[in-house]
Amino acid sequence: MTDGNGPTTERARPRRLALWRTTTFRLTAIFVLIFVLFAVSLLGYIAYQSSILIQRQQLVDIERELGQLNREYQLGGTRALVLAIQRFARGPGPGIYFVADPSGVGIAGNVIDVPISVLEEPGQHTFAYERDRPSFGDEDPNRPEARGMALVRSFVLPSGYRVVVGRDIVERRSFAVIIFQAFFWGVIGIIVFSVIAGAISARRVLRRIDAIGATSRMIMTGDLGQRVPVTRRNDEFDGLATSLNAMLDRIEQLMQGMKDVTDNVAHDLKTPLTRMRNKVEAALRDDRDEDAAKRALESTIEECDHLIKTFNALLMIARVEAGTPASAFEQTDLSAVANDVGELYAPVLEDAGLDLKVEVPESLSLRANRELLGQALVNLLENAIKYVPRPDKGHSTVTIAAREAGENVILEVADQGPGIPEADRERVLERFVRLEKSRTEAGSGLGLSLVAAVAQLHKGRVEIDDNHPGAILRLILPRQTGETAA
Amino acid sequence: MKILIIEDDRDAASYLMTALDEAGHVTHHAGDGDTGYAMASSMDYDVLIVDRMLPRRDGLSIIESLRAENNKTPVLILSALGEVDDRVEGLRSGGDDYLTKPYAFSELLARIEVLARRSAPAEAATSYQVGDLSLDRLSRKVTRAEEDIQLQPREFRLLEYLMKHAGQVVTRTMLLENVWDYHFDPQTNVIDVHMSRLRSKIDRGQDNPLLHTIRGAGYMIRD
Ligand SMILES: Nc1ncnc2c1ncn2[C@@H]1O[C@H](COP(=O)(O)OP(=O)(O)OP(=O)(O)O)[C@@H](O)[C@H]1O
Ligand SMILES: [Mg+2]
Repeated sequence: MTDGNGPTTERARPRRLALWRTTTFRLTAIFVLIFVLFAVSLLGYIAYQSSILIQRQQLVDIERELGQLNREYQLGGTRALVLAIQRFARGPGPGIYFVADPSGVGIAGNVIDVPISVLEEPGQHTFAYERDRPSFGDEDPNRPEARGMALVRSFVLPSGYRVVVGRDIVERRSFAVIIFQAFFWGVIGIIVFSVIAGAISARRVLRRIDAIGATSRMIMTGDLGQRVPVTRRNDEFDGLATSLNAMLDRIEQLMQGMKDVTDNVAHDLKTPLTRMRNKVEAALRDDRDEDAAKRALESTIEECDHLIKTFNALLMIARVEAGTPASAFEQTDLSAVANDVGELYAPVLEDAGLDLKVEVPESLSLRANRELLGQALVNLLENAIKYVPRPDKGHSTVTIAAREAGENVILEVADQGPGIPEADRERVLERFVRLEKSRTEAGSGLGLSLVAAVAQLHKGRVEIDDNHPGAILRLILPRQTGETAA
Repeated sequence: MKILIIEDDRDAASYLMTALDEAGHVTHHAGDGDTGYAMASSMDYDVLIVDRMLPRRDGLSIIESLRAENNKTPVLILSALGEVDDRVEGLRSGGDDYLTKPYAFSELLARIEVLARRSAPAEAATSYQVGDLSLDRLSRKVTRAEEDIQLQPREFRLLEYLMKHAGQVVTRTMLLENVWDYHFDPQTNVIDVHMSRLRSKIDRGQDNPLLHTIRGAGYMIRD
């Protein structure tokens, strides 16, 4: 492998994270370290405390034996004392015994020699000793010779005899060694165990992070339908995966919206543009008179304006669908909106032969985008004006109504025109959809799409109903919108 | 009127300058935000036309700086963004009016003329007079040649707005914005119908009509 292609392969296929570089692994390592430190100090403390305990126990034993010897001495004098020491020394225990006459010459015991300083100064001492072979008068050949360290107490009897009683502390030391060994293996065990456990859990976590990474790479290659796997464990990773998926849903929805818009633009705006171009070209070609050219220009501007309007409507729908920031939401009186827009349109409706009725409560407030609600209402009224034929006789009424309905607020426009067939009620909310019978009227089929988008922005919906005869277009908006509007 | 146009699109700027020249105004042009700000703060203009998206420094920040220096020159913001919240943002930064591209020149002209006049202190008048038509804002009485005219509240506001800008062209969108407080394009002839009703109340049977329709632009009330 050459150095040159190293980085390229790395970029092409993102490497799995090296175990030792992951956060999880580092956390595990810290955890192991803390655990081991804790175990070491705990075990060390236990070892120390037990060795202290053993020493204290030895001192108690020594004290007890000294007491016994003292009693023997008081009852039977020096002779009884020497006998007792001989008895003790013969015993199998770990004890060390020695008695010397006032001149310091040993007369009984199980050690060969005791330093003079120990004999001279009563009290506690530690010294190296050599265990006597068969002690005085004892002919047991099996008794092993031994050396060691002794912890002793010595004292001088009133008669000048000196008594030394002690314990071997080598045993105590070997006990410490045993503890230390247990302790050592324990720590090794803990390290091995926690490293394994840490590595396994790190692997598991890594696998899930890798899964998220793999999904995101697939999405980057263009497959927006991919989702991060969610397990049933319901842990933090699932929480993360769920919100990532929700985000992806939203992005996909927005992308779809964008795609729809571009498709629509391609399809429905190209046609009028082409027509316009042809017209201008034709006007350029025949140079009959200036008037005709001027007329052609004027009609071009007119078509331009129409295009701009369509374009604006499309953009507005797209932006409303993408969601405006909630800052544009304000406490809005729906009744006021209905009254104002109604009043604005009343004369036009009247000219179209339609009566307008506005049925709203005194006030009906909700958090909403007032402008957009007004625009939606305008679109509905303009549809009524366009699609309700002028009545030959009698009245045809258009009703704007607003009311509360449980959690929701309803704003509706009802007319007595031809109505919208049940089969078309969903379709008609889509962009550029115009029903066959409406082709004679001007329009681009975007009015209701905006109404639907406005409803969606307010987390509500549009419902189309039959007014027997006529159409009812109903905006159903939850009262509590605004703050949470995306 | 002396007008500064801060706009980076050369074609749009030169079109505007020619058209405003023809309408009898003096125009200066700045092609980026820094130059625009320097010119606006060092010279006296009657109106600034500021594009929102500019190289080097965006339009809203220019306006904010000017306002912070207590420069009260009326500003018309031009923008390709037309959403409600964009407009709100624009006006909040200190702009006086907001126009979305593409726009009709007549609309822009009407708006800057109203803006320039707005800076004159005739603002707080309590009554308006155009010919023999008078409107009292306090008693809400309207008379023409000494005769009372009964108006609906909205008609009153419509007339009030027109008379406040007597002699100036007022477009349909301006009326919708200022009288109804909505910012959408009226799709049909909504405003025209209201105007014809108002006209029938104040001009019917009079020899010299005061309310005039300006073709391709809007309305004007004048003697
Ligand atoms: N009140 C109504 N009565 C009968 N049909 C209606 C009514 N409102 C809408 N429609 C039908 O729904 C179609 C879609 O309406 P929409 O408002 O979306 O578009 P448009 O009115 O054709 O064009 P635009 O509103 O963009 O100018 C209309 O073409 C019409 O066929
Ligand atoms: Mg419509």
